[in-house]
Amino acid sequence: MASGLAASALSASLSAGASGNVISVGTLYANTGSFATSSMPEYAGLQFWVKQVNAAGGMYVAPLKKKEHVKLVSYNDQSDPATATTLYNQLLTQNKVNVFVADFGSVLTAPAVTIAKDQKHLLFDITGSGTSFFSSGPNPYVALTSLPVSAVWPKPVVGLLSSLKIKRVAILYCQNDFDQAQAAAIKGFLSSKHLQPVYFQGVPTTQTDYSTIVQAIKGSNPQAVLEFGYPNNDIAFLNQLKSTNTHFNFVLTPFPGQLPTLFRQDVGAKALGWQYTYAVPPIMRVNKVNLGLGLNSFLAKFAPGKQSTVNFLNVAGYNAGLAIQAAFAHATSMSQLGIRAGLTAVSGKLQTLEGTFALNKAGAQVGELLPVAQMVPHGAGFQFKIVYPATNAQKAFVNGTPKYPAPKA
Amino acid sequence: MRLFEYALVSGVLYGLFYGFIGVGLNLLFGVMRLVNLAHGDLVVWGGYLAYSLTTSAHVNPLWAIPLSIPLALVGGLILYLITVPRLRRAEDTETSSLILFFGVSQVLVALATMKYGTNQVTLPELGNPVMIFGQPYAASLVASAALAVPALALFYYYLYRTRLGLATRAVMANEEEAVASGVRVRRVATSAFVIGIAFAAAAGPLATFMLGGINPTTGGGLTITAFTIIIIGSLGNPLGTAAGGILYGLASSLTQAYAAPWTGMVPYALLLAVVLLRPSGLFGRRVRVA
Amino acid sequence: MPLVVVGAVLAAGPSLYNNLAFLTTLTIYILLAQGVNIVYGFTGYLPFGFVGFFGAGIYGSSLAIVYWHVGGYAAIGLGALTSVVAAVIVSPLLRLSGAYFALATLAASQALYFIVANESWTFGESGMSLPLLFSPTALYVLSVVAVVLTLVVVVYVRDSHFGLSLRAIRSDAVSAAMAGVNVVRTRTIAWLVAAALAGVAGALWALMTSAFYAETPFDLTISVYAIVFALFGGVRTVIGPVVGAVVLYSLYQYIGISNPQYFELIYGLLIVVLVLFLPGGLTSLVGGRGDRPAWWNRVVRRRSAPEVTP
Repeated sequence: MASGLAASALSASLSAGASGNVISVGTLYANTGSFATSSMPEYAGLQFWVKQVNAAGGMYVAPLKKKEHVKLVSYNDQSDPATATTLYNQLLTQNKVNVFVADFGSVLTAPAVTIAKDQKHLLFDITGSGTSFFSSGPNPYVALTSLPVSAVWPKPVVGLLSSLKIKRVAILYCQNDFDQAQAAAIKGFLSSKHLQPVYFQGVPTTQTDYSTIVQAIKGSNPQAVLEFGYPNNDIAFLNQLKSTNTHFNFVLTPFPGQLPTLFRQDVGAKALGWQYTYAVPPIMRVNKVNLGLGLNSFLAKFAPGKQSTVNFLNVAGYNAGLAIQAAFAHATSMSQLGIRAGLTAVSGKLQTLEGTFALNKAGAQVGELLPVAQMVPHGAGFQFKIVYPATNAQKAFVNGTPKYPAPKA
Repeated sequence: MRLFEYALVSGVLYGLFYGFIGVGLNLLFGVMRLVNLAHGDLVVWGGYLAYSLTTSAHVNPLWAIPLSIPLALVGGLILYLITVPRLRRAEDTETSSLILFFGVSQVLVALATMKYGTNQVTLPELGNPVMIFGQPYAASLVASAALAVPALALFYYYLYRTRLGLATRAVMANEEEAVASGVRVRRVATSAFVIGIAFAAAAGPLATFMLGGINPTTGGGLTITAFTIIIIGSLGNPLGTAAGGILYGLASSLTQAYAAPWTGMVPYALLLAVVLLRPSGLFGRRVRVA
Repeated sequence: MPLVVVGAVLAAGPSLYNNLAFLTTLTIYILLAQGVNIVYGFTGYLPFGFVGFFGAGIYGSSLAIVYWHVGGYAAIGLGALTSVVAAVIVSPLLRLSGAYFALATLAASQALYFIVANESWTFGESGMSLPLLFSPTALYVLSVVAVVLTLVVVVYVRDSHFGLSLRAIRSDAVSAAMAGVNVVRTRTIAWLVAAALAGVAGALWALMTSAFYAETPFDLTISVYAIVFALFGGVRTVIGPVVGAVVLYSLYQYIGISNPQYFELIYGLLIVVLVLFLPGGLTSLVGGRGDRPAWWNRVVRRRSAPEVTP
């Protein structure tokens, strides 16, 4: 009975947005818990897209042959996958959204992938790049909008390592699918060159004490150290290097490129000097686009006067919006498969501020590969210099040569 | 061999800090049988105080330690008055307190999220690394260990050298007998509770260094670690708490050195081993288990 | 019969509020709260690490589905079996009591998490994707059936000779043993039954989400919710944990949707107030602190369970 009461209160407080002249997009965000750091900026990017589209009088919806306004329906899952499951379902069954967008990361995306397949409803997955979502064959109901699957990320890192003739590689990773996939991919690439990592260890994702681990890595005498974690792991690891003045000739971590403001605060610009990270946008600035804003105009409009605070996840959230926009602009009907057909139509042709948008049959992103950047000291801070491209096309973005071995601070 | 040596020294230094973390909980759980699941969150709030101090006043974060104590005493007293008298009348104080303090923990996490956001925050490192046997240790690690020693000594002094401490130990040993011999249990309980909270908050700035930064949800894991340490070291025993901390620190750093994937298991495996094999702890005289 | 009422209300759920994921999760929490009820309510052991059995159920059923390709019903059975095996392994913890027991079960559940999440050979490090074996409606029907069967078990535990022994142990284990109750065996059976319930709940959860990430199944807040739901409704009753789960989980969903930024704050304060001012749970408001609300005895005249006098 109580559920009935709560239920009627719920349906009273929410109005469904699917009917009438508006396209409703559902999404979840996490304003508390372990994914909040990444989820909130992504959500802000998506909100920005909605604002932009509506300010332009809506987006073109091909099957209706006219522009429609966009309504964003969103709930807070507090980083909890159990809550996320019911809320994704809430978006589909109660709010009857036209399409839905997953929250940050594989853990919060996983329940949405299930629901999308189950209810045959198109899911736009921003950053849930776990390989398992895209390995079970063709799937028309998931589209990864922002990043290649995590196992593809480290490809240019291996290229960079071999161009620097680095043979002794230490790999430390956190035991979750995102980090483990990258570590395993690098190990695989290395072994194809008949190399073994000199240190290869997983640690729990909850790990923040790296004191002895750093010494163990040092003991393996590596030429390059790759640490794959979530932001809190990267921060703790880099701070441990800093506080013990431990110097390695090559250090790469994934998140300084995605959250530079946070890393400047928590690790400090000086300590980050000469280290490497993935060159996600806005480090890589794609301005030749055929949909939405180019990177420079995005920065100017998203945070006027505070462009340095804009991070990759803002871009990723906005880019997910652009994918939705492209899908509706080329949709063959208003059915879910009709909308997905719109994405297929633009795949490989769509150029956004993240690069070429291309999907395979399983819905995985196969464009938008990430180059490697080095953080080059500049005055009191540092600048990102792209030192190694992931594709030939990205050679145009390279604006520095890797300095190896990294000078001591 | 160098690595082994590093792990040993680092384990002892970390261990002293963990002993400090255990002190406050020992007073609440060891003395009052209150299962304070908010212990780690109180530590985290101490850390946030240091963060606020350094970002607003640009002073050494360690000033937060003396500053947190009066704040924690007042806050602790308020919390005491609201919760403990009713809890002690409950049918099953231990269980009720466990659930109640989980609620308190949720509230502290929510307030921290509202005030400080969810991003990890760190404190500026205290100085150049300290060389011990030719290997570098973070200045903050050495400082934490150095500050933990007087804190543990203070805890020892309070329990064994003051009248209040004597009364506290009497209550711990047997509350009914203590009442019969004229101990004012209420006063003892109030002071143990409030002092315990103050110790927790005072450990906060150090924890921020030791844990590579804090965020609103850092407290949960810290609470479990603290329980492990005081149970290993026997309830109400200051030397045991120090020893429990060091044992935990050593186990943790040796695991990091030689079996990194299993570091997460360390506190839980130690806790299980101790409660099953020697439930009174390594330094306990009596068994307080069923 | 409360069974009929609960069954009917749950069966009518989808027509009141058509979010089957919410309703299925609710029934999963009812199962967990009833598990807590059996362990804590009837034997006095607070299983703070109860989530370990839930996690074991999710893990066992996911593995069985992904690697042995078993069907849905077999997965539920294997999920329950995994939890029971876990319960047997940790049964030495029953030697402990009070907070020591609570903390030790917590440690055991987290140790299990680290074992599962740690290595590639456990398949927990990188997660698993499960095929869909039931439609949401079928799964919900299944979970309502599970709830009804669970209530039958709880009624049995309450009214049978077995339940009488449990309560005798709870009030005084030594006297119960002297009166001829096999303390260890009785406790262990209750422990295994509760674990099996959590295992079924876990398997249902795995079938609903079709994904396994080790972080989720072993999250301690699941334990806490199950405990709080059971206490809020009132332990040692049949209907209490159901009411607790329905009211609080609906509230959880409602606050979470309408007022997310204050969610944790409100929920935390609610727990504090609950412990301080309503220690006997909601059902105690209706019928004192007895095993069953007084109005129930007045309305339905049936043999009441004999009082325990150890």
